[in-house]
Amino acid sequence: MSTTDTGTTEGPADAPTTPGFQVDPRALTPLADARVDVELDTGDMILNMGPQHPATHGTLRLVVRLDGERVVSADPVIGYMHRGYEKLAEFRTYPQVTTLINRIDWLSSFANEVPFLEAAEKLMEVEAPPRAKYIRTILTELSRIATFLLFLGEMGLQVGALTPAFYGFRDREHILNLIEAVTGGRFHPNFNRIGGVKDDLPWGWLAECRSAMKIVFDGCDVFEDLVLGNEIFAARCKGVGIIPAELGAAYGVSGSNLRASGVDWDLRRDGEPYLAYPDLDFKVWTHPDGDSFARYWVRLQETRESARMVLQCLDAIPAGAVMAKVPLIIKVPAGEIWVETENPLGQMGYYVVSKGATGPFRVKIRSASFSNVSILPWLLRGVYVPDIITILAGLYFILGDIDR
Amino acid sequence: MGLIESGRMPKPLTHLLNYSRKYSLWMFQWGLACCAIEMGAALASPRYDMMRLGVIPFPASPRQADLVVVSGTVTDKMAPAIRRLYEQMPDPKYVISMGSCANCGGPYWDSYSVTKGIDQVIPVDIYVPGCPPRPEALMEAIVMLQERIQNEGIGNDQLAKRWRGEPITVA
Amino acid sequence: MPDETPPDAPVAETEPAEAPPALSVKQEAVLARLAEHLGDAVIECVPLFTDVVARVQPDAWPRVADVAKEHLDCDYLSFISGIDWAPAPKEGDEGSSDTSSPVQPTEMTFGVAGSAGRFQVFAHVQSTQRHWGVTFKVDLDEADPHIASWVPVYPGADWHERECREMFGFVFDGHPSLRPLYLPADFEGHPLRKDFPLLARVVKPWPGLVDVEAMPSEPEAAASESEAST
Repeated sequence: MSTTDTGTTEGPADAPTTPGFQVDPRALTPLADARVDVELDTGDMILNMGPQHPATHGTLRLVVRLDGERVVSADPVIGYMHRGYEKLAEFRTYPQVTTLINRIDWLSSFANEVPFLEAAEKLMEVEAPPRAKYIRTILTELSRIATFLLFLGEMGLQVGALTPAFYGFRDREHILNLIEAVTGGRFHPNFNRIGGVKDDLPWGWLAECRSAMKIVFDGCDVFEDLVLGNEIFAARCKGVGIIPAELGAAYGVSGSNLRASGVDWDLRRDGEPYLAYPDLDFKVWTHPDGDSFARYWVRLQETRESARMVLQCLDAIPAGAVMAKVPLIIKVPAGEIWVETENPLGQMGYYVVSKGATGPFRVKIRSASFSNVSILPWLLRGVYVPDIITILAGLYFILGDIDR
Repeated sequence: MGLIESGRMPKPLTHLLNYSRKYSLWMFQWGLACCAIEMGAALASPRYDMMRLGVIPFPASPRQADLVVVSGTVTDKMAPAIRRLYEQMPDPKYVISMGSCANCGGPYWDSYSVTKGIDQVIPVDIYVPGCPPRPEALMEAIVMLQERIQNEGIGNDQLAKRWRGEPITVA
Repeated sequence: MPDETPPDAPVAETEPAEAPPALSVKQEAVLARLAEHLGDAVIECVPLFTDVVARVQPDAWPRVADVAKEHLDCDYLSFISGIDWAPAPKEGDEGSSDTSSPVQPTEMTFGVAGSAGRFQVFAHVQSTQRHWGVTFKVDLDEADPHIASWVPVYPGADWHERECREMFGFVFDGHPSLRPLYLPADFEGHPLRKDFPLLARVVKPWPGLVDVEAMPSEPEAAASESEAST
């Protein structure tokens, strides 16, 4: 932008002058010569994207200070879904805590229980039998697919595409059917026990699962064509909300969000071995860009990868018992342990402190979305208002996971 | 209309009015937690399509809604917002409390930050138990509500009370 | 599975003293670097399953963050939280057959790496490149719990410390703005302290496994059972 400054206050020689009253010298300057970088006297607007809003995924409140259409500062206010999990866990026995914690991340409920059970089993020195590990792995990956199918559908919805949302919900029903056939519940299955799983797989389930995975692959191809290939989606999402890798790590951003910034880190492969992941052969997908488009792309690839992992598990699942020998009253010996797993939303961990009673003494729940959302004040500076929605949709948090 | 508020609606007209009201509910969903996903599955998924019952979701604002379905845990921080949005709805309005968290606090009955049931804040017409209730359970709640709407004003003064915004006491 | 005995566990009478568990390569590397860069600031350092727990001096807390980021390559902040070691309030009964409420020990014991008092702050950092993690613990003064803030080194510490402040009452010096995160503005008390009661449980205790409703055809049994359970 070039600026021309006429400098003098008298104005050009042929400007009209009216005697009798003072004329603002700026009015005498022809517009083409006017200073174009004059600061207009405007005020900021505070926009409250309140706790009830269709675009925030639940009860997140964003108080955003706007300068025109640009965000000057954003302040997320959370706590509208704070249920006090860490305090409640101190008053419950271990099986009761298991029932409660699968409502933290309520889309992929099965995956929430896995780190806690690993922690309790390691402290008790009990190991779940191999078949139980495979069943747990299959159910975890199924819940990951269900969560990501919902994401693939509703991120399109957030940027304005209605069709992917229906496809996402429709394909998700097939997965929920499978989970319901095994556990009895569409989500919040409460199927895990300390030492294994509650029951064996029903007869005919393996074949059903294979056909459902075919539907998942087809669904992913549809999403790739429909959404990723759409120019509007690309224009809305490319370059929006770039998270640099080191800053993301310093904030604790994890999971697909960090992998979309190029960090090659997946606890299923790099962390401590848990469940049946050491036996599986899978690829960890990363993308160098770090914007919202990259996050969508990474999650799409991970959905396909999860479906492949489920097929591997179905082929390799061993026969045997599904529950180890544990006493009727679960008493976990005194000690502490930190277990972290790769959940659909990111890395979820439990630091369990036990004093030898039937219930934990202190459970610190490290939930993925809490750290993912804590980067919002930094990430939302300088973006336009519609980009706020895109960024929120791309980060993909669940309010229960933030607020616990 | 003065006729309805004073309770002097003739029966055939009441019947017709209720019949058309019950099949054109505009539902404001207050999806808070896990129950919101089941409510979304009931509405947006082609399997449990709730729109065939006449219930259309997503009004632009609560000022255009007849029915609010509160699904999910209500915390003490959120309760004033619920009260405010309920008061923004015009009469006659209906409330369905979905899930055990909204009914009575649910699994978080002893938490320090959870409101033990939204009926402490707003009056509720139908309670749907479950954690989370299946989409079919929510649909049954809608059907029960529709039956209730059909019977309002026929043999009782509930229609007038709803129009005036007065509380309905259940004997 | 190697098991290390925490300092407060009772000494086993019949088992011979176990050899210390074999450390993994990562654990040895972490321990070596901690010793080299922190030295005296570490009060106690214990390998815990596959991680390392290090309890450090309170005034070395900001230096710990720098060391972790630069020398341990721990660029990823997992969490910062607190723990209150005071005994839990009495919930269940020790001798009863009702097992639906946990019975916690009534004396104050400390966990891995010990503690100087009731309050501790613990933080976990990980390395995205080397795939190891360390938990740091630091003791806080019970009467006036203050500790330095990690926000200059790990910007993600912002929200974790705000949560810790409102849950426990710990004050983090150097934090840009320690305002409440979760709880409404007029909430009183610090919920995660052990002396904060859950009022719903105080008003009406959890009935537990006791089945207070009799079968429909036994009115007299119902009367006697309700008398026995109250």
